[in-house]
Amino acid sequence: MTVKKPSDFGAEVTAEQVMTQPGVTVTDMPSASEFETKLMRLNVGPQHPSTHGVLRVVVDLDGETVKRIVPQIGYLHTGFEKTMEHRTYQQGVTYSNRMDYLHGFGHDLAYVLSVEKLLDANVPVRAQQVRVILNELNRIASHLVFFGTGILDMGALTLFFYTMREREQILDLFEMVCGVRMNYGYFRVGGLSRDIPEGFTDAVRQFITGFPKMVDQYVGLFAKNDIFVNRTKGVGVLSRETALDYGLTGPSLRASGVGLDFRKAQPYSGYENYDFDVPTSDKGDVHARFMMRIEELAESLKIIEQALDALEPGPVKDPDRRISLPPRQELETSMEAVIFHFKLATEGFHPPRGEVYVPTESARGELGYYLVSDGGSMPYRVKVRVPSLINLQSLEPACIDGVFADMVANIASLDPVMGDVDK
Amino acid sequence: MSLVERLVDELKPLGGKPAEFKRMISVTIDSEHIVEAVKNAKTAGFEMISDIFGIDYLNYPQHQGKRFSVAYNLYSISANERIFIRVNINEGEVLPTITHLWNGASFMEREVYDMFGIEFDGHPDLRKLITPEDLDGHPHRKDFPIGETPTLFNEGRFIDPAAFRSGLTGQDAGLSGHQGGMRKGYRTDANEEA
Amino acid sequence: MALQDLFEKDIQELENEGILFSSLEKLVAWGRSNSLWPATFGLACCAIEMMQSTNSRNDLARFGSEVFRASPRQSDVMIVAGRLSKKMAPVMRRVYDQMPDPKWVISMGACASSGGMFNNYAIVQNVDSVVPVDIFVPGCPPRPEALVYAVMQLQKKVRGEAFDQQGIELPMVEGWKA
Repeated sequence: MTVKKPSDFGAEVTAEQVMTQPGVTVTDMPSASEFETKLMRLNVGPQHPSTHGVLRVVVDLDGETVKRIVPQIGYLHTGFEKTMEHRTYQQGVTYSNRMDYLHGFGHDLAYVLSVEKLLDANVPVRAQQVRVILNELNRIASHLVFFGTGILDMGALTLFFYTMREREQILDLFEMVCGVRMNYGYFRVGGLSRDIPEGFTDAVRQFITGFPKMVDQYVGLFAKNDIFVNRTKGVGVLSRETALDYGLTGPSLRASGVGLDFRKAQPYSGYENYDFDVPTSDKGDVHARFMMRIEELAESLKIIEQALDALEPGPVKDPDRRISLPPRQELETSMEAVIFHFKLATEGFHPPRGEVYVPTESARGELGYYLVSDGGSMPYRVKVRVPSLINLQSLEPACIDGVFADMVANIASLDPVMGDVDK
Repeated sequence: MSLVERLVDELKPLGGKPAEFKRMISVTIDSEHIVEAVKNAKTAGFEMISDIFGIDYLNYPQHQGKRFSVAYNLYSISANERIFIRVNINEGEVLPTITHLWNGASFMEREVYDMFGIEFDGHPDLRKLITPEDLDGHPHRKDFPIGETPTLFNEGRFIDPAAFRSGLTGQDAGLSGHQGGMRKGYRTDANEEA
Repeated sequence: MALQDLFEKDIQELENEGILFSSLEKLVAWGRSNSLWPATFGLACCAIEMMQSTNSRNDLARFGSEVFRASPRQSDVMIVAGRLSKKMAPVMRRVYDQMPDPKWVISMGACASSGGMFNNYAIVQNVDSVVPVDIFVPGCPPRPEALVYAVMQLQKKVRGEAFDQQGIELPMVEGWKA
């Protein structure tokens, strides 16, 4: 059979002719744009190899280009806010750190600060300093998981083991303080539940002296790697206007050029006493978001060191007996202490009526607990302003007109934690 | 005059009623003027929308006024100030959307719709965000039950957390009412099972 | 038994030579127990502890769980790590159905085993009502050592050395008795 060329046909060949007439093939058609193409809808289901949790993404693909992307969330909805309405204020501390389980102390701190603002509690200086140390250590641990899983999503396995090795050391420090590696119950409204043990400060110092070398190791592993650079530079660019339009906060916003950090803008828990910078970048791509968190590791180390130097002996709980449990020795001698203990342990304290909100900076962005109190022992309404849910909306402008493989890099760089997103 | 105070003055002709509690400033406004108020805030310098959320005041003691309240949490990065613009509405009333001002309001308004049933007129994609498709109702409303089930053990033992908690706080027994509202005990019908 | 049909000829030869058939079962069970590949089903906080159990300090790979297969069609064990919400439950059932026999389920953590601290409208109160669970691991979250212990107990169950509370031997695996 002779091969026919387009010039052998008189009229234009249509797709229907290709499908019905024998001998007429696709190559006879005048141009590929004659083809009717449809967008392919691909479901990246809730269970998928990426380690970012149960995020379901429905993408419309034109070949490999993403034309439309809609994240479907809710596969981890736990009803935290409604459940916290049925628990006392002190019991709320057990719920808050399970939302963003990677930066649990950040949520604990935000919740406890909101309740303390409602009560006008006086948190002693030592408690504030220990809170800052633990918060920053947890921020480092969260960023380590970000690096490990982010690079794992792009296909490299080694960095995961390196970062997890450091994270084990940090979790050992947490275990020394409160007995649990994750999902802590250490903060209390009014301070801490108990003082830090002996040897904790030495262990933290040992950790922070050895950590910068490890960061250099990580940077040497991936920052100059050609594959990483090609996959992340210029990918998922979010300009400053787009980032503000979509409500982005946290390191991703700072990578787009807006230097907003609530630890500096509206300091809480003694952050105004520490000297640290807020790094920004104006590139706004995935590479900048990764490098931003590397610089944040250095800043966190600075804060921890300053807090350790400033640590002085003192009480760790608000002395007001209506908020904090009295110490054991007092229960043996004082009747009022027994009554306070009984009321606090069974019913809890009653904050005055009102609504408060304290914005804090979590590893992912702005985090705040809006508490509505009706004067009872349980909060009337708890609304958590979670950073990951709002940051996830930026997935759309970052991925549109990019390749499908870049979507994985974008999800990794925006660092969503599904417990935070679905509450 | 700070940015917030200027904005409060700007909103007064639209019917805005300011309030302050522990250095947090909020302005209550009607639902007809909410888009204009938020747009004024944005042009005045509140570049960032932090949150949109709802509160159901059904069981709030001594509450006068409408049932729901939707609050817009706006933050100004340049001036480092925050304002809450609130709308009080009843059930069935519809609020206009502000997704044309900030695209980031899309998920926030969807969550308010999902949790409270407050519809936003003009929203490009108003559907449930985090609850399952087959869940009817709006969970954060006060008349939606928490859904606590008693914990059942193998040998017939059970613990009812709702009844336990009501015993502590003196409020009504939980909605489970299992086995006559007992806090814990042994199920009467389990002996045949075991 | 299905395995018996497969090895009919070999069994007859071996029995003629005096070797008991049961040792072949034990051999296969031993091989299976030392190569349990988990399917990634990390949901919430327990997933992070599951990840931690694969790191260099608590190495789950030395128990045979060398790779966490992303596709359920290539895995043996499903470790349900985290709170199962009611929206995710049908998805989990589908993933479980896609796993080939023989398969096992470890319910990791308090939330998967009993609903944990979330006794509300959104969380399934016991994963056993969706998939048949072999091992329950308590903890919130369970330490990586606890997960490793659970995998060791599952290995015992796979080999047929597991006993229940009354001292009765538990059956080796569901998929055998065809």
